[in-house]
Amino acid sequence: MLSVTLPPDTLRADKDAARHGYACEAVTRRDGLRELCARLKDQGYFLECLTALDFSDAFELVYVFSRTESASRFLTKVVLPKPDASGPGVGDIFPAARWYEREVYDFFGIRFDPHPNLKRLILPETPRIHPLLKSFKGSAVGADAEEVLSAIHEDRAAFDLLNPRTPKNDADSYELNLGPQHPATHGVMRIIARITGERVLSTECTIGYGHRNHEKMAEIQDYRAFWPNLGRLDYVGAMAYNFTYAELIERAMGIEAPARAQTIRVLLTELNRIASHLLWLATFLLDLGAFTPYFYCFDDREKILDITELCTGERLTYNFFRFGGVAHDIPEKRIQNMISDFIPAFRQKLKDYRTLIGKNIIFRKRTQGIGVLSKETALAYGVTGPSLRASGVCRDDRRVTPYSIYPRLDFEIPVRSEGDSYARYLVRMDEMAQSLRIVEQIYRNLPPGEILLPKVPKTVPRGEYYFSTESARGSFGIYLASDGSPTPYRLKLRTPSFSNISAFSELGRECFIADLISIFGSFDAIVSEIDR
Amino acid sequence: MIPVFLKTPWVSEALKAGFWGCFATGFVSANALFLVWLERKVSARIQRRRGPIIAGPEGIFQTVLDSVKLFTKELVLPRHGKTFLYLLAPLLVFAPIIVSFIVIPAGKNLIIRDLNIGFLLIFAMSSVSFFSLFLGGWSSHNKYSALGGIRSVAQNIAYEIPLLLSVMGVVLLTGSLRMTEIVSAQSRIWFVLVQPLAFGIFFCAMLGETNRAPFDLPEAESELVAGYLTEYSGMRFALFFLAEYTHVFLGSALASTLFLGGWQGPLLPGPAWFLIKTYSVVLVVMWVRWTFPRLRSDQLILFSWKVLIPLALLNLLVTALGATLFLQP
Repeated sequence: MLSVTLPPDTLRADKDAARHGYACEAVTRRDGLRELCARLKDQGYFLECLTALDFSDAFELVYVFSRTESASRFLTKVVLPKPDASGPGVGDIFPAARWYEREVYDFFGIRFDPHPNLKRLILPETPRIHPLLKSFKGSAVGADAEEVLSAIHEDRAAFDLLNPRTPKNDADSYELNLGPQHPATHGVMRIIARITGERVLSTECTIGYGHRNHEKMAEIQDYRAFWPNLGRLDYVGAMAYNFTYAELIERAMGIEAPARAQTIRVLLTELNRIASHLLWLATFLLDLGAFTPYFYCFDDREKILDITELCTGERLTYNFFRFGGVAHDIPEKRIQNMISDFIPAFRQKLKDYRTLIGKNIIFRKRTQGIGVLSKETALAYGVTGPSLRASGVCRDDRRVTPYSIYPRLDFEIPVRSEGDSYARYLVRMDEMAQSLRIVEQIYRNLPPGEILLPKVPKTVPRGEYYFSTESARGSFGIYLASDGSPTPYRLKLRTPSFSNISAFSELGRECFIADLISIFGSFDAIVSEIDR
Repeated sequence: MIPVFLKTPWVSEALKAGFWGCFATGFVSANALFLVWLERKVSARIQRRRGPIIAGPEGIFQTVLDSVKLFTKELVLPRHGKTFLYLLAPLLVFAPIIVSFIVIPAGKNLIIRDLNIGFLLIFAMSSVSFFSLFLGGWSSHNKYSALGGIRSVAQNIAYEIPLLLSVMGVVLLTGSLRMTEIVSAQSRIWFVLVQPLAFGIFFCAMLGETNRAPFDLPEAESELVAGYLTEYSGMRFALFFLAEYTHVFLGSALASTLFLGGWQGPLLPGPAWFLIKTYSVVLVVMWVRWTFPRLRSDQLILFSWKVLIPLALLNLLVTALGATLFLQP
């Protein structure tokens, strides 16, 4: 339970954690928030997510805090009356808040004070549009869309590629623009690095080039219609994103998927996790200049994609889960044959990779001691997933918030304490082996029975919900505010790469250009889920 | 009848130079096309692919088609670049490598000029070629190009020294810089057996000199997009590309001449042995490229200064002692 003494004037309400995903909620005053944050930090909480809600006369800031060892989430809210709303900046207490505050400023127009660098994060630097305001209708055609387009066209300041940013008197260093089109950003992302010679002094990430505003899309269509969007956030490990949404809504509705569907979900998610880690391994080595592993990893990944294709009909942007089950049954016999061929072959391949890659002297020189992310920094920035576990924190949503059939399965959470790129590599390699173990445990004995509940409510009861599952990149959480209508009132997607990459500017300094690339690669960022 | 004026020394010399120039250029171009194809096939085999298979048997004409494509590409000129130097760089990178072929003996009497400075000419020329990478990178007015160019200079300085030092052992044993004499000195035993360490150093430094992975930092495509090549397109790009492959061939030819007995071998004629040995070294170079990740720039330079150069000096010392003690003056 919550052991923090709350500041005065704070309203506190305990919630049903199994249903809402958090145990306690507190509404605090604007002035009390920073004090509360400092106390929470002392108690070992980290900021998982920060977002806002737009009501007719006020904004509500929502802070989701979590702890490393347990699932006890703590939701804090601050109400800001509407005209010229300004929130308390907590970036100095939780550095993770800096990007989230910029995002809230971007989408809602709420200013934060103090904030070191309050400018738009995702949209171009134009003063007019705040797309998540309820007054912004956000239809694909019509006045709003035209306003957006004209604003983007007028917006020269955002595309300041040609403007020299270097101060004239600084002759020793220069700015190198990695991206938006660069072989190593794996997507459309921009890293602005200040460099002297080959040494990187500081870096700044610019994101948002692939922004589609899935959150607005959620607000203008009903719960079921949002399914396809989830496959398009992280196109490499899409199954876990389906999983979070399914679990969140099912818990909120108070329904539970049949056992067979649960098992199929876990089976496919773990296979998908292996596929995602394989793609990471392939591209990470490509960043380091080794071309050949790419083909071997893709070869293995192809076999997994064949299995998931046979199950779901899709190879990449899965849209297979439903509220109360999965879309259709899987061809059990064929899948079992394919998996029983795959498991021993892949075990052998994993062993080969460990020998050929992990023992290569150049690979070790390029990764060991490079990009060391300390435990404290990782938590301060809300880094999750393998990157956090490589820094010595054993936090995996499959363990801390037991969901689906995971509590019944036998697997370990690999943890390393070094925090460097090599540790991140090792954690992901171990995770592949563990996922394989999970697959091995369940694929032979899928429980018989239904795969989909026959009757599922169309609406989610009024209230707020937060749930997260462990995706290949980290903790993918969804915060949902429902007003009981068929469409979500607000649906915030807390994507793991977003927080992971917000920590990148801490690591991308005092290193070489080549390290910059390899550190970025070691975080396994998928740009489309950063941009959403 | 040969007209009299053709017998005047300078005219016959010019004709000879013209003939050998054309021959060398033709051979180099055809060879580079072949090497590009070979590289694609070798990398495909290493990566469990098939590589080019459509154009001709085993896709042998693929590179011919590629070069036709490159010929027809638009030549883009960077607006703020130093145009003259930008245009000069592809020529300067290619020409010195062709010149280097003058001193490579491909058979018993198959050498264009048996110069007494021998392989020093090759090293001098390859430095010019490397320098023009810097020229191309710098004149492109692009940060990636400039970084690639700067890296190429640092790398050249670092790797030229162990390259020369490793070959000095061979020179001590032969007592001559002349390529033909080095080859004939290996008629009983190849220098790779006498000087194994020198051969290892030579091979590493040669990879560094020819810009091949894991030492391909000047163009490091995952870091610097394409390094010094970023702003080059069409045939200008192709010239850099040809130069790289010819450089690899030249380095391998040098390795086979200095360490592997050159054109000497049983049964087959000299040129055949020369090509077999050279292409074997080329295959090893390709094998290395598709196996290892890339080093970092500082690791690359330190590897040369802290490992290769001390080892080469040690090798030279031991060779000098051995030569003084056991070989008659």
